[in-house]
Amino acid sequence: MTSNVPFETACKRFEEDLVLYYYGETSETERRPIEQHLSGCQSCQRFVDDLRRLLPQMAKSEEFPPSFWDAYYDETVAKLAKQRERKYWWRDLLTPMRVWMLPAFGTVAIAVLAVGLVLSKGNLPSFTDTSPKNFPLETLSDAKQLEFFESMDMLESLSKLEEQDDQKPEPNQSSNLRFVAANA
Amino acid sequence: MVDQREFRDEELVALCKQGQGEYFDLLVRRYMEKAFHIAFDFTRNSETAKDLSQDAFLRAFSNIRQFDGRSSFYTWFYRILVNLCLDHARRKGRVVWESLDSLNETPGEQPQLADTSFQPEQEAIAGEAKRRADKTLETMPKKQRTAFLLRNHQGLSIADIAKVMKTTEGTVRVYLHRAVAALRQSLVEFV
Repeated sequence: MTSNVPFETACKRFEEDLVLYYYGETSETERRPIEQHLSGCQSCQRFVDDLRRLLPQMAKSEEFPPSFWDAYYDETVAKLAKQRERKYWWRDLLTPMRVWMLPAFGTVAIAVLAVGLVLSKGNLPSFTDTSPKNFPLETLSDAKQLEFFESMDMLESLSKLEEQDDQKPEPNQSSNLRFVAANA
Repeated sequence: MVDQREFRDEELVALCKQGQGEYFDLLVRRYMEKAFHIAFDFTRNSETAKDLSQDAFLRAFSNIRQFDGRSSFYTWFYRILVNLCLDHARRKGRVVWESLDSLNETPGEQPQLADTSFQPEQEAIAGEAKRRADKTLETMPKKQRTAFLLRNHQGLSIADIAKVMKTTEGTVRVYLHRAVAALRQSLVEFV
């Protein structure tokens, strides 16, 4: 039976159960009393009929052609690929390197270093050796200039001291004069 | 190149977690239509629905390691998607719903009603009723609308809706009933 109205009033006590019944969300034990009630209640029957008639129509979605979904998929996958690229950028650096290659590379590097050390033993420059022969000529000439300026400074200081000494009276001389006067 | 044999969701997720992210593409293929439609149900705009559903896939992929397998992948994914849709609705304010009728206006795509004796006058009544129903959905509390859309439009079970909405099944039942009751209330003048 179809009614002209979209929904029929249901018994208040059963309304929630009827909604769940319509969606198939009732257990076997819940379903039995509902169906028992439905068999004797016309308004509840109409209520459920109206739900069956109208609710699927509300759920009707717009139809999209397959080309829409292909484009959607391609676009989404491209975005994901870009995201993966950003997330795993470091992998590109290691792409040619396999996991087993890492210890092999390490061993080779250590061996090369050891051979290098053995071959250059005794010829390695000491970092604490500051003898002039190890300095470049440019540095040496700079150092000489520096020494020259230092000695000039020292000479200047000496001449200043001499000047000061000249200005001062001789302390020993005056005391000697006093001593001579007293004796006289 | 991704192996085309049939994988279960959990297997694909495990492969992604192992660093083989290209297997996520199969999950996109599997859920893209559902994802798009649910975003469309929330937004009523195909461009926005596309953006939101794609964003949900991107987020799911970047957080795949946080998926602990306690729920199914699609429940976890729906939660991401629904939250994005709700956030979008919050930012944009009220959603402007197109009438569901406009989806059925294409010639030759008239809805197949359960009762084939349905007359044009009755169709007009049903059309008006649907417009009113759309309006009711637009103004409905978002939790009720979410429960209703996930059940009625997406066919999720109440148990899955509860997981998506992080609530109890009892609460979902109440939301669903209230949503349907509100729809009935809005259509009372057609009775």
